[in-house]
This record gives sequence, C-alpha cells and structure tokens, in this order.
Amino acid sequence: MNVTVARPQDAPGRIPSKAGIGLRFRHHQAVAEARPDVAWFEVHTENYMGGGIAPRYLSTIRRDYPISLHGVGLSLGSAEGLDVAHLARVRNVVDRVEPGLVSEHLSWSITGGAYLADLLPLPMTEEALAVVCQHVDQVQASLKRRILIENPSTYLRFRHSTIPEWEFLSDVAQRTGCGILCDVNNIYVSACNHGWDAMTYLCALPPAAIGEIHLAGHSLRQLDQGRTLRIDDHGSRVAPEVWTLYREALKRFGPVPTLIEWDTNIPPLEILMEEAATAEAALEQQRHESAYPNAA
Amino acid sequence: MNPPIPTLLELQRAIQRSLLQRAGGDASAYVIADGLDPGERLGIYHNTSAGVLATALHLSFPAVERLVGPEFFEGAARLFSAETPARSAWLDEYGADFPEFLAHLAQAASLPYLPDVARLEWQVNLVLHAPDAQPLQVARLSQLNEAELAQLRFEPHPAARLLRCEFPADTIWHAILERDDSAMAAIDLADGPVWLLVHRTESGIDVVRMSECEWRFTAALFSRRPLHAALEEAPCDDAHVLLAAHLTRGCFADVT
Repeated sequence: MNVTVARPQDAPGRIPSKAGIGLRFRHHQAVAEARPDVAWFEVHTENYMGGGIAPRYLSTIRRDYPISLHGVGLSLGSAEGLDVAHLARVRNVVDRVEPGLVSEHLSWSITGGAYLADLLPLPMTEEALAVVCQHVDQVQASLKRRILIENPSTYLRFRHSTIPEWEFLSDVAQRTGCGILCDVNNIYVSACNHGWDAMTYLCALPPAAIGEIHLAGHSLRQLDQGRTLRIDDHGSRVAPEVWTLYREALKRFGPVPTLIEWDTNIPPLEILMEEAATAEAALEQQRHESAYPNAA
Repeated sequence: MNPPIPTLLELQRAIQRSLLQRAGGDASAYVIADGLDPGERLGIYHNTSAGVLATALHLSFPAVERLVGPEFFEGAARLFSAETPARSAWLDEYGADFPEFLAHLAQAASLPYLPDVARLEWQVNLVLHAPDAQPLQVARLSQLNEAELAQLRFEPHPAARLLRCEFPADTIWHAILERDDSAMAAIDLADGPVWLLVHRTESGIDVVRMSECEWRFTAALFSRRPLHAALEEAPCDDAHVLLAAHLTRGCFADVT
C-alpha cells in the first residue's frame, strides 16, 4: 500500500519531487531568518528528541518548509527486538513535526542494550530479512504511516550471506509495503568496495517503491597493492561518478525528492544550495524527458 | 576452514565485542577478507563508532575539552566510551558518567577542579535538552492567602537544576568558554564550595550562584516539600524574594 499517493498533491508538508538539503544545527539560524530558496529540508530525528532551542528552531522552519525526518537509531536489524522507548521518542518527534517523509536504515546498531553508534551491516540472510521485516511492520504500525528504508554503504561482507543486498532491500519493501530511500552514493561506494555493478543494483530496485534519493560526498582510502576503499563520510561534494549514476536513477525512477547530505566539515549554506541546484537541473531534465519522451 | 554459521544474535554479539574491545576476535572469522584484513574492515566501524561517541562528549563538555586540550580529551573520550557504551541513539543523554570517570582518571589529577567543571557541564547539557514545559504563572498564586501559600508544593521545571561544587566551577566554566584569560587568572580555587542553579533562558543557559541557605531552600522546594517546611529547613533572610526570582526565571512548572 502506498500511502503517499493517496494524499492530495498540495497537502501541506508533502515533500516535493525537488532537491532538498540536509539541515544541521550550524544552519538553523540562517534558514529560520533568511528563508533561503530551498524546496525542503531533512533533519536527523535523534537531534530533536529533547526540548529547548533546537526543536524551537525546527518548528519555526517547519512553518515555511516541508520537513523529512531521517532516523539513525531504530536499529531495524537488531536480533533482540526494537528499543520501544526509542520508538516512542521517534513517534513523539513525528507527532510534533508532521514530516512529509520518515526514513530509517537497513542496518543495526544495538545489541545487549548497547548502542554501538554506527550503522552496522547485516548479514544478507533469511533470518535477518525476517527480523528487519518484522521491525519495519512494528514501526509502521506505531507511527501509523509508511516509512522509507535506506540502503547502507558497507565496508565488509559476511561469509554466510546468501541474498544480494538489492534483492534483500526489494524484499523488505515488497513484504512490508515500506518505501525505499535510494542512496545513490551508498550504492556507488558499496559497489566499488565489493566489486558489484552499480547499475545492476539500481535496476534491481522496484521503481514504484522509491520515495527519495540521497546524494553525498565520500572519500577514498588507499590500501596495499594499489587497492582503494571508499568511505561514505558525507564530507565533500557529490562525486562526478555519483552524479552520473544519479541521472541513471532518475531515468529509471522518474523525478524523486532528492537530498544533499553533508555531515562532516559542514560548508556554508551556499555550497549546499549549489549542490542542490545541480540535482534540481537533473530533476528538471528528467521531468522534461518524461513529458516529451521522444524529443531526444 | 569456515566457522559454523552464526545466528544473527551471535553475530551481533561478536561484532559488539570487536567494536568495544577493539579485538577482531571471533567476528573476524565471519567476514570475507577480499584483499583487506577482516580486523581492519571491522576497524573502520570501530573508528566511526568511537568517533561518534567522542563527538557527543565534545558537544556536551566543551569547557573540559579546552581545559585538557583536544588530544587528551579525545583519548579520555575513547577510553570512556569503551568502558561505558551508549544506551540509545539519543546521544544527548550520553555522558552522564563522564564527570565521575574524569574524577578517577589518574592523568587528570593535576586539575582537581576538572570533575566539578564536568559536573556543571553535564547539568548544563541536561537543562539545554530538557523537555519543554510551560512555566508556572505567578498569577496563579495571587489569589491565595498566607496559610494556603504555606502549604504549596512546587513542581520544578525540567530545565532548572541544582548543583553543589567543591571548586568555583561556574567562574572557571565561564572564563574558559569566553576565552577570558584574565578572568581565569583571577580565579581563587579556595573560593568554593559554590551553590549553583542552572536554568534555561530564552536565549541560552544561565548559571546562578546562590548562598548555601538559598540553595538549600531551593533544593527543598525542588524536592516538593511544602513552602513552610522549606522555610523551616532553610530559614534564609530573603526567602520570599528568592522565591519571586525563581518564579520570574521560570524555575517551576506547576504547583499543588
């Protein structure tokens, strides 16, 4: 069931199929006061769970912009069940912010009551698939809405994995009715790190399930024997190869809300807006091509 | 030879041991090498995890970081996070035990006031992120007579907290964050103990120094003792003036 298509197109707070920007504390004041020309913003759910100045800024900004909530802490792949206290905090933020989209990750972070502070990779097994699906069902029932699940960037694979990641993610979407947040940078990073074909990954995802795209920068680490590892650190501009893959994604998925993420060495808002403008141009071109498919 | 296939729980526990104890251990056996040692692959996650927790501490303890320097702080943060993992992804809550950790850290013993500054910063952090609540309106008290007032129990506002420090942590904290070297040089470490109220204002955080009696009176009110009992326990001269000041500051959320 696709909840988003049931909404009227001009529903307040709906995330448009345009380029948005990941909003971090550094730019709260500038955005609240100057109201820059940005179609929408996305914030990390975990940064607004308390009271005080941060949620106050967010509610001010929410009056002028659609907001998407992107969580990092539900640990959908935990073998020991969801942290229901954390789920209640997420629900509280969702109730306050009334976001256009809510998303989480295909990963795990919690075991034995410890939060390991990273998006850790899951083994691609039937057992993990069942766990993730059960937790996505639980979250969607609790929030009373569809969520999007993001593909991770990974630096290792497990010996006992049996399902390609793109099939695993598609299965989660099919079994739970959740959407997919397609992080094109993550596909590129993981494909390079594991020798996968990025286009195979992209083409395996069900277009109707794609609710959002993420774009970010990554860095390169040199290994022995001239090998490299790509690290998804959200600390630079989107790489040219990722822009190319993004345009392929738009051809396949149509114009989809697209987010520029930048989390380390966060630059001035103008730089983020430049990146968003590049994404917007690609979206515009795709809209044009969708309207006039034979023009080229 | 490949190890037996782990359950999801076995795998997650093995990775937890690897991340917290920085030992590849049995988790390495489950990871495909593919040109890079599995321990090094797990190490990438260890670095991110430790870095995220160190950043959370750095955001909550900026004055401590300036007092000890960034390198020392990073080392202390990593030692602490290996001993004390976070309990949830709400990292505003992470670091409650860091002041006591610093108090027992031998390498920090030359700064005896460091744990007090950390305790103050933790209270500041709690106040900064405390839930929003409407402050008690003074008008609600104006219709009450003296006898009714004396029976009142005040509910403290979530963003108002009390702290007692052996050292003048408030002046150190302020001088360090303002980078005010002359204020720092003027601090007399014998100028303690200090009795502090930390509360949230429209624009930030205020740390108010009180007399011991005022602090005890406020502490009695915050522990929901009736007003007359608080006055008996801490008979300060200007208790009513202080109560009015607390009301103006929004230190109470309710009254019963």
